[in-house]
Amino acid sequence: MTRLTPTLTLAALLMASGAAVAQTELMLWHMEQPPHRVERIQVLIDEFNAAHPDIVVRQEPQNWGEIYAKAPAALAAGNAPDMLFAIPDFVPILKELGAVQDVGAFVVTLDERHDLLDSAVASYSYDNGVWAVPLYNMAMSLWYHRDMFETAGIAVPSTWTEWLAATEALTKDGVFGIGLPASKGLYTDQVIYTFMANNGASEIYNADGSFAFDTPATAEAYAMAAAMQQFSPPDSAGWFWGDAEACFASRACASIVQFTTITTFDTQGGGNAAALGVAPIPRADGQSDHATIAYANAVMLLADDAEKRAAFETFITWLMEPAKYGRFLNMEPGLFLPVTADGASAESFWANPMAQKYRSQIETMIANSANGRLFGFTGGNTFPSIAPISGQNVLSEVLQAVVIDGADPAAAVAAGQARMEEIAQ
Amino acid sequence: MTGRLLLWGGIGFFLVIIGLPFWWVVTGSIKDPAEIIARDPTMFPQSFTLQHYAKLLAASAYPTYLVNSLIVAVSTAVLTVLLAVPAAYAFFRMELPFREGMYRAILLAYAFPGIIVLIPIYGFFAQLGLIDSLVALVIVNTTFALPFSIWMMRSFLGTIPQDIEEAARMDGAPTPVILRRILVPLLLPGIAAVAVFAFISSWTEYIFASILILSDAQRTIPVGFAGIIGQYQIDWGLLLAGATLAILPVVIIFALIGRTFVAGMTDGAVK
Amino acid sequence: MTSAPVPVRVARRLSERRLAILFVAPALLLLAVTLVWPLILALDLSVRDVRFIGQSGDFVGLANYADTLNSTRFWESAGRSLIWVVGNAVVQTALALAAALILHQRFPGVQIARVWILLTWIVPTVVVVIIWRWLLSNSGGMINPLLVQSGVINAPVGFFASRESAMTTLILINAWRWFPFVTLMILAALTRIPADLDEAARMDGAGRWKRFSRITWPLLQPTLAVLLVVGTLLSFNVFDIIWLITAGGPSAGTQTLPVLIYETAFRGYEMSQAAAMSVLTGLFLMVFAVMASRGMSREAGP
Repeated sequence: MTRLTPTLTLAALLMASGAAVAQTELMLWHMEQPPHRVERIQVLIDEFNAAHPDIVVRQEPQNWGEIYAKAPAALAAGNAPDMLFAIPDFVPILKELGAVQDVGAFVVTLDERHDLLDSAVASYSYDNGVWAVPLYNMAMSLWYHRDMFETAGIAVPSTWTEWLAATEALTKDGVFGIGLPASKGLYTDQVIYTFMANNGASEIYNADGSFAFDTPATAEAYAMAAAMQQFSPPDSAGWFWGDAEACFASRACASIVQFTTITTFDTQGGGNAAALGVAPIPRADGQSDHATIAYANAVMLLADDAEKRAAFETFITWLMEPAKYGRFLNMEPGLFLPVTADGASAESFWANPMAQKYRSQIETMIANSANGRLFGFTGGNTFPSIAPISGQNVLSEVLQAVVIDGADPAAAVAAGQARMEEIAQ
Repeated sequence: MTGRLLLWGGIGFFLVIIGLPFWWVVTGSIKDPAEIIARDPTMFPQSFTLQHYAKLLAASAYPTYLVNSLIVAVSTAVLTVLLAVPAAYAFFRMELPFREGMYRAILLAYAFPGIIVLIPIYGFFAQLGLIDSLVALVIVNTTFALPFSIWMMRSFLGTIPQDIEEAARMDGAPTPVILRRILVPLLLPGIAAVAVFAFISSWTEYIFASILILSDAQRTIPVGFAGIIGQYQIDWGLLLAGATLAILPVVIIFALIGRTFVAGMTDGAVK
Repeated sequence: MTSAPVPVRVARRLSERRLAILFVAPALLLLAVTLVWPLILALDLSVRDVRFIGQSGDFVGLANYADTLNSTRFWESAGRSLIWVVGNAVVQTALALAAALILHQRFPGVQIARVWILLTWIVPTVVVVIIWRWLLSNSGGMINPLLVQSGVINAPVGFFASRESAMTTLILINAWRWFPFVTLMILAALTRIPADLDEAARMDGAGRWKRFSRITWPLLQPTLAVLLVVGTLLSFNVFDIIWLITAGGPSAGTQTLPVLIYETAFRGYEMSQAAAMSVLTGLFLMVFAVMASRGMSREAGP
């Protein structure tokens, strides 16, 4: 009897470990390549894997510049990941390929548990489905140097008239009142959209799929952006992501419009939290509310497999629990905002030293993000042509026509709509 | 007198346009973040920090990228030489049907934008299971280096007097032996040139490497470097450190063999 | 001088032919498989209606080609490519010729100079991009302050703020990156010019310019001609430098054909259209290359 017990125990152990070896593998591709973000994601993945022996999650960071070509190619070749992070305009193409799973039911559960931001869910809800689970949000605000405004005796602008005057007054002695991009790229698209949204021109589609871009409100927005451009540094026509923040951190720009500038300000711009001001982007004089652009980043489920779906739901549910969610968001403190109500008050979110140091700024950012929306993804009015329109930066093209070629805003906007119609065919 | 003036003026000009940008980059990589983006940039660093390098090496897989780049580049160089030398000899000396036509056609390989073969190659490699492997990169890089390498090799062959070969042939030596024993040693400078050309082309290739490689463990330096640039922000210090490290290996290699390479190319006709 | 009887010579000839084929086969096989086959697939893509990878499109005949030939964007990009190629050829040849002539002289450090002239060529393109984007920017970039201090300009400028300056700046950056390799090729050709020719001319009292134009330049012609053809092809297809710095902007000012093709394929989600554009572009370049090399071989002789 005594000799049998160890053998039986061993056998039992072997069988148990054999059963545990049947793991579900989940491959995650995301585009958060900066090393510290990759590190934080790995920490969370390791924790999850340890707590869930039947699931193994792996990450493979990719590059935003490459992924638009790479993901469809990988899908066609059969080596696509199971989970793929996305921004709204990345989804329609993959959805056309039939590669994206409907996660509507899951999102409803998460919404009940954590109260998801409506605009975040709206960006992924169309065609009778929800095509990704919102994970983290970004919204643009106006960032400014408090001391510069105070020295010049200027109040933080709230309307366009005030904004134009303030920016002009600040532009002197090698300092530019504002740093606005005028390049052909996603950043410029986003900034110009904040002008449009703040003049009531936030829809580029009508409900029937025709274009609503060519309106006086849009033209006015472009005129305002062009007027503000004269107070921007001369190289802004070549700006991509980091340039605005570099200008701000070096104090060559008194203000910029960006998702965040906290990390750059902290490491490259002196890091004096009291001097960093953030405000809602000024609205046109006739508007009652401020508006902004909000980019909800989300995760798509690509694997068409019941087991993987269950594993996916387990993973995301785990991730969005307040205790972990805050740490996830803080892979880049001061940039990624919660998409859940309980995430906004989670201790794990505020426990981060950067979050504490810039608490008031981040709270303002979160407040601003409530008014955020995204062109082409305003809940229901989403059409497949938004992908090539966004991909080819038509909004930036129109701005460049006005700023660089000196075209009349109304004419440029009309030409822009013609271009959109051409693309939509 | 004007001759010397022109000469030194010219030397100075090239020194400035080549040396200065790199000076700024390397000194920038050890500056404090604030000094890098300062409105009044500094010619000589006012600060000193190794934080960018520390962050680069600790937090990213740069050493892995370096090893991958080296493996791919060396393999490409070797494969290109192995394929180009016999091919060039055949085009130059040997009896081949459609010789001239084929030779011209090879250089036409460069007439097409590389992008358009990108997707078919991806699909094709996927079927062979070569996606996310360094082998795929070696194949692609060799393909693009080959036409020009064959051309270079052929012109090197042209500098070797025909009598050496004739003499060996009179002695009854078969062609492969001639190639191996006699020509190859004479061709070493040319071979070195082809090897370096293939190495550098492979070292700097970005587009195919970015699409054919999926996982971080197989990435090469140009792709890894592009990844550090990040989507919403730029850490200039990290970038400048990355740039310096991306240049360092080839600089070291060139410091060691550069002279031989250039000497081989420029020592004139072999007598 | 025949040493072997006829049948042996014939046999040797045949086996020589087989050997020749064996020698070229591996190289040609690689090129056929990784270049020719994908080109054929691209050709197939161009006569279908495929929007993005993974779709199988219906056959549409030459519709994509017609669209391309009728599109103003295509021809405008072609024009820009022409400017790009000519600009690069001029700047690179000028720089490379100057550098090669200098490196052909004797001066202390010339051996080292010959090696390190290659520095900008051995650097990965993404690094070149970062270097110049930083140097030309208004935040921390060195070029603007230098130009202002030395009085060349009054205030900092944006190098990519207008179409013309963006194209010019990109050409200069691209030339900076590629001229060393051309330098080496020209230097190699220079060293093959017998030194005694030049010496004799100098003895006869011929001035520097005369020696260059009468002796050096004509003897360089063949090399320069080949470099021009190959250089044009390579330079035409440059994509990453332009894409990573201006993305074809501002206002399409630097949208050359490769940039247009990439954007059409991967941002506009029109793969078949892009394939048609590539095939047409390739055809233009092939015609150019064939005509140019015919012209060259006529001049160069056997």
